Amino acid sequence: MDSIIIEGIAFSIPLFIIAIGGIYSEGSGVINLALEGLLGFGAFAGGLSYALLSSVITGNPLLLIYASLAFAMVGGALLASLHALMCIKFKANQVISGVVINMLSVALTAFLANQINASVFGQPSNKFLLEIFPKVTVPLLSKIPILGALFTDLYTFVPIIVVIALIMAYILYKTPFGMHIRACGDNPHAVAAAGGNVMKIRFISVLVSGALAGLGGMCFAYSISTTFSPNIYMGFGYLAIAAYIFGSWKISRTFLACILFGFARSAGYVLVQKLELPSSYGDLVLTLPYIVTLVLLLFFSSKTKAPRALGDVYE
Amino acid sequence: MDTLVEFRHITKRFPGIVANNDISLSIQKGEILAILGENGAGKSTLMSMLFGMQIPDEGDILIRGKKEHISSPLVANDLNIGMVHQHFMLVENQSITENIIMGIEPKKRYFGLFPYVDIQSSKEKVRELSKQYQLEVDPESIIEDIPVSTRQRVEILKMLYRNAEILIFDEPTAVLTPQEIESLLGIIKNLRDSGKTIILITHKLDEIKKIADRCAILCKGKMVGVFDVASTTTQEMSALMVGREVSLTLSSTEHKRGTEVLRVEGLSVETNEHIRKVDKVSFTLHRGEVLSIAGVAGNGQVEIADAIAGLLPVKEGAIFLAGKDISGCTVRERIESGVAYIPEDRQSVGLILDFPLRENLCLKQYYQDPYSNSRGVLQKQEMESLAKQLISTYDIRSGSGVNTLARSMSGGNQQKAIIAREINLQADLLIFVQPTRGLDVGAIETIHKKIDELRAQGKAILLISLELDEIMELADSILVLYNGKVQTIKQASEMTKLEVGEYMMGVHVEKA
Repeated sequence: MDSIIIEGIAFSIPLFIIAIGGIYSEGSGVINLALEGLLGFGAFAGGLSYALLSSVITGNPLLLIYASLAFAMVGGALLASLHALMCIKFKANQVISGVVINMLSVALTAFLANQINASVFGQPSNKFLLEIFPKVTVPLLSKIPILGALFTDLYTFVPIIVVIALIMAYILYKTPFGMHIRACGDNPHAVAAAGGNVMKIRFISVLVSGALAGLGGMCFAYSISTTFSPNIYMGFGYLAIAAYIFGSWKISRTFLACILFGFARSAGYVLVQKLELPSSYGDLVLTLPYIVTLVLLLFFSSKTKAPRALGDVYE
Repeated sequence: MDTLVEFRHITKRFPGIVANNDISLSIQKGEILAILGENGAGKSTLMSMLFGMQIPDEGDILIRGKKEHISSPLVANDLNIGMVHQHFMLVENQSITENIIMGIEPKKRYFGLFPYVDIQSSKEKVRELSKQYQLEVDPESIIEDIPVSTRQRVEILKMLYRNAEILIFDEPTAVLTPQEIESLLGIIKNLRDSGKTIILITHKLDEIKKIADRCAILCKGKMVGVFDVASTTTQEMSALMVGREVSLTLSSTEHKRGTEVLRVEGLSVETNEHIRKVDKVSFTLHRGEVLSIAGVAGNGQVEIADAIAGLLPVKEGAIFLAGKDISGCTVRERIESGVAYIPEDRQSVGLILDFPLRENLCLKQYYQDPYSNSRGVLQKQEMESLAKQLISTYDIRSGSGVNTLARSMSGGNQQKAIIAREINLQADLLIFVQPTRGLDVGAIETIHKKIDELRAQGKAILLISLELDEIMELADSILVLYNGKVQTIKQASEMTKLEVGEYMMGVHVEKA
C-alpha cells in the first residue's frame, strides 16, 4: 500500500505541473499538443546543464540538482517560444505546430545529446547521467497510518512543485493577469476592447506552459530513470493533456485526474510484483494510465468544456 | 446646448467603396441622436471612427471643441466615449462583474504583498450602478447563463462603469424581442435624462420616432441631412434614407386559397434536455396561404419550424406534406419532397460562411444533375451559372460575384442569398423564420414583396416572426403560440394587433 502511494505521488505531481502548463496555454486560447516535446526538451536542457555544471559546481550536489530544474524550465520555455511564435505571430495551425514540435524535439535532443557527449565528454551516448534526486521522510507526519506514506521517502521536488502549482493557481484565478488569460481563451475580442494585449497575454501563457512542462519533464528524468535519455518521450505529455481535459481545464479537477493516473500506474506495478509475474509484464503496466484514460473518455468527454476560443486565430 | 462631438468633412474609403463621403455632423450634449441609413450606408463606419476602431482618411473629429486623434478604443475610453457593439464583446465563462471590470480591475493585496482582484467591492459597485440606472442584473451571474437582453445591459453597464458620457449603440434592438425593445428604449431615455449623450445607430423608424431628438440620415455614404424627429414623418425619413419612396404597407394581392399542402397533427417536440417546447400543436396550411405563427421569443415557434424541416425529432404527432407523413423522413427526403426552409440563424444554419456564393447557392442541390455528373464529380461551371443567375435575379450584392465568401457579405445580402436558394428549389412549402430580422427598410420591403409574390404563385408559406407588424401585414391566418401550446388560430382579418398581443402574453380571455 505504502509503495502505491509513494510511487503514485512521485508520478502524479510532475504530471500535474505539466498539465497546469497546458491549462495556461489552452486557457489563453492556444492549443498545446507540444507538451510532450516541451517536457522532453526541458529534460534535455536540465540534463545538459547537469552534465556541464557537474565539473564546475563540485561538492554541492544539491545545488547542482536544483539548478538543473531551473535550466529545464528555461529549456522548455525556449522551445515553447517557437510554438508561440508559430501560433500567435505567424498564425500557423496550432495542432500542426504542436505535433511538429513534438517530433522536432525528439530528433533534436537525440542529435544534440550525441554530439555534445561525443565532442565535450568524449564518449558517444545519447544519455546524460543524473544523480538520484534527494528524498525526505518527514519525522512525525510519516507515522500517521496509511497517509503517512505521503510523507515517507518523498522526493523533494514534490513540495517544490506543490508550491509552484499553488502560485500558478493563485495567478490564474486571483490576479488581473490571470483573469485576462482566461478571458483570452473565451473571447479575445472582449479583452482587446478592454485594452488588453491579446498577443502578449497568449505569448506569455505559452512560455509559462513550456517552463512548467520542462520542470515536469526533468522530474520524470530524475525519478524514472535517473538519466536524460530519449526514453523520456513516453507519452506523458499526452497523458497530461488527457488530465486537464478530464479536469475541464480547471486546476483543481486536473489535480484529481493526475492523482488517478499516477495511482493507476503505481498500483499496476505493485500488482505485477505481488502476483510474481515475469518482469516483462511491467510493460503491460505502462499501458494502465492509458487504459484508464480510454475508460474515462467514455464517461467524461461529453461533460468537459473547452475554452470557447481555443484554437481561434486572433488578428 | 453645447456641441459635444463634431465631425468635420470626414471621408473614409475601403477598397472598392467610399464608406463615408465628406460627412459633417455635430452632436449636442444630452441629446439622443439617431443615425439612420440602410445596411451599408456608412453608419457603423462613421461611429467606429468615433470609437477609434477606424481612422478617417480625411477630415477631423472634435470632442468638446478640441481636435482629437482617436487611434484606438482606449483613447475613446479616455475621452469618455463608450460603445455597445452589435456583436457583444463579452467573456462568456466569466461573471457579469468580471466582465464589467475587465482592464480596470480594482486590486487589493494579500498580506500587503500579493495583488488580487477585489471582486467583492466590484460586485457592490456593479450593484449600485445597476440600481442607479435601473439596469437590473445579478453581478454574480455567468454570462453564458443569461439571456441576450441581460447581456446587453452588461454592455451598457460596462460603459457606465468606465464613466462614459457619450454612449454609442450599434443597432441595439436587432437582437431583442418587442418587450425587451420597449424596456431598452426606456433605459436609453433614462440615460439621456441623467445627462448622457446617446448616439443610436438604427434603421428602425418607429424606434427613432419614439425616443430620438434628432436624426441624421445617411444614404450611400453621404450625409442627406439632420432632421428634427418631431417634425418629420416616418414616410419622409424612409424616403430620404432609401433615396426613393418606399411603400411601408403592402397592397395585398387578391388570392384564392388552394388545396392543402401541410397538415400538422398533435405535434410535440422536446429539446435534448427533455424540455417540452411544443405541445400537441395542430394546424393546416393551403396553397396560396400565408400562415403566421406569432408568439414571444422562445415559446416554441422555432421548434415547430425545425421539426417540419427535420432538424428536430418529432416526439408525438405527425406532419403531412401533401397528404404524406414526412415525420420520419430525413432532411434530404423532406427537401426533395418540397420543403424550403429559411432558418432563423442565417449564419450558422443557413449558410456555410467560409464557402463562396457559388457553393452556398447550391447547398441543397449540389449532388443532383447537372451540378454533379454521373460519376459524382462537382460541375463548377453549372454551379457558377446557377449562382450568376440567382445573383442577378435577386440582386445579391457581393464584392467578387460568385466567388464572394458568405462571411464577407452584409446580413441583408446573406439573407437574400438564402431566400434565392430556397425559392429556387421550387418547393410547395416555404418556411420563413424571422426573415427580416436585422435588415433595413429597403431589404424588408423586398422580402415582403417576395413573400406576397410567392403566395400569388400558389405556394404555401409558414411565416414565423417576432415582429407583430410584419405578421399583421402579411398573414392570411395567424396561429398564436404560448408556452408551446396553440392559443388560437384565426383569420388575420378577425383579429386586431392588440388581440394578437394579448394571446401572445397568454392573457386573452375570450369574450362570450
